Amino acid sequence: MKRRPAGSQPALRRRGKGIGLTADARAAYLLILPFFTFFLIFVLYPLLTNFTTSLTNENLATRTFIGLANYRRLLTDRSFVRSVVNTFVYAIFSVGPLMLFGFVAALLVDGSGRVQSAGRAVMIFPHVLSMVSVSMIWLYLFDPGSGLLNKLLASFGLPGSDWLFDEKLALPCLILVNVWKSSGYVMMIDLAALQSVPPSLHEAARVDGAGYLSRVFHITLPAIRPVSYFLLATLSIECFKTFEQVRIMTNGGPVDATTTITHQIYMRAFADFKMGYASAMSVVLFLIVLTITIVNLRAGGQLESDRHEAGT
Amino acid sequence: MKQLAKISGSLLLLVFLLAAIFPFLVMLSVSLQDMNQIYTPGLSLIPRPPRPEVYRIALSHGNWPRYLANSFYVAGMATAISLIINAMTGYAFARIRFPLRRLLFVLILAGMMIPAQVTLVPLFILIRHFPLAGGNNLLGQGGTGLVDTYTGLILPYIAGSFGVFMCRQFYVLFPKELDEAAKIDGCSRFRAFWLIYLPLSKPVLGALAVLKFTGAWNEYTWPLVMTNTGADRITTVQLALTAFRNEGEIFWNQLMAATLVSTAVILVVFLSMQRAFVQGLLVGSVKE
Repeated sequence: MKRRPAGSQPALRRRGKGIGLTADARAAYLLILPFFTFFLIFVLYPLLTNFTTSLTNENLATRTFIGLANYRRLLTDRSFVRSVVNTFVYAIFSVGPLMLFGFVAALLVDGSGRVQSAGRAVMIFPHVLSMVSVSMIWLYLFDPGSGLLNKLLASFGLPGSDWLFDEKLALPCLILVNVWKSSGYVMMIDLAALQSVPPSLHEAARVDGAGYLSRVFHITLPAIRPVSYFLLATLSIECFKTFEQVRIMTNGGPVDATTTITHQIYMRAFADFKMGYASAMSVVLFLIVLTITIVNLRAGGQLESDRHEAGT
Repeated sequence: MKQLAKISGSLLLLVFLLAAIFPFLVMLSVSLQDMNQIYTPGLSLIPRPPRPEVYRIALSHGNWPRYLANSFYVAGMATAISLIINAMTGYAFARIRFPLRRLLFVLILAGMMIPAQVTLVPLFILIRHFPLAGGNNLLGQGGTGLVDTYTGLILPYIAGSFGVFMCRQFYVLFPKELDEAAKIDGCSRFRAFWLIYLPLSKPVLGALAVLKFTGAWNEYTWPLVMTNTGADRITTVQLALTAFRNEGEIFWNQLMAATLVSTAVILVVFLSMQRAFVQGLLVGSVKE
């Protein structure tokens, strides 16, 4: 946070013609102008109008100010309340397994061998694909009639299941697909962190007679702690945004069992054209994401000061 | 004991790899089966007989050459424009001191944290009421604005601020002497950017290009609300895939064939630029 006193760079302080800006500053503003034009119009402005629209009954034809009526309605909207619960369940039960499987995968493919580098490519690939393709593949696997899972169960003499059509199983199925798709991402991030540990540390521990598991607990886990905060926040936010999978695999059903906040936003806005009401939902989503971000920044800052106190 | 640990590690790796790859094998297998085999109970992963013509039938479902061209055009344009404006902006933030720089950069960081889903509805209203487009008047009334146009599809993709952050982090590592030397040679900031920085930007722009292209190619939500259903004009691949599901009976073989074609493009990009891709993923996770 160092701030130079004005005029500390006399060489750069050539006066522009009358505008009162240096030549450098003018160049900088011209360079950032194209991006900021798009950014202002298509990111910041919509964020602002989201709040104002949430106070109206906008439906693309009319628009009247109705105060906080939309927010009051949210509290008694059963589908919306269900969607908030579902989204929290989806996020909580996705993030844990994702962090675990990603970490174990990172340990398994850590190394310079051929198998390890091929393993990395294979495991990251599901993350690279579109959620649409992934949903389509799993839609087939889960299909009660001709899907592979039920055929597999039948070949062991076990009864099949209705999977996505089962009110109790549908949400866990979506969570499974999410974990399958994104574990490779967690693996990549963890891998980068644990490869930044100097090999001499492992060497020294080995000389001292520390076994593999003991080295994982005392060297590797502390090494990935900082990125774990990052992952926790990123993954939670990703989960709170989940829409494509829900829209394609279940469309929120059966009977709201898998509807999420973003799915409700989509349905109210683009099936019912209740844009004002959907905007109020968006504001709620925004506040949740904002909270996660702030908590994460705080926790990250806490971590940093811990490290300073430890004197490292 | 050591031997045992090694073997159990290898076994675990094998389980992970199988879990990752098995669904793809199923996709490939089903895409070559005929519907009779798919409806037959009992596990049979080998297509008997293999039906390569499923691909031809699947791709003549609707207008697939058009969908592929649309996706290439939209993802390509979004990537090209993003690369230029993000590099320019990132360079300015990394190398030039100017008033309000800190505040504007905080805005960019904040922009990275705004989920697209939050602005979906207001963005749609904005695009629909865009002044003087699609039959709209100056106040944005009367027509459909930029809905159902390539422009409406592409614009939000190039407004994301992640690429600016990425470029800024890259350019900030260049030595100070570079700017001083350029200055002594009478090189303006624009020339320095164009002649010195841009030619050295291959690593960051490669990573950003892969991220932007796959992101735009894979996008589903925005095309879904932007596209007038029924008209194929701007329908992208991801949207076209969902058409197989919207009919009464799902022809799994055709759906898997089309899915495989749409993922093949990403597979090629991924395999040819794997390093760049992984670098892009890591930006932001490691604090400098």
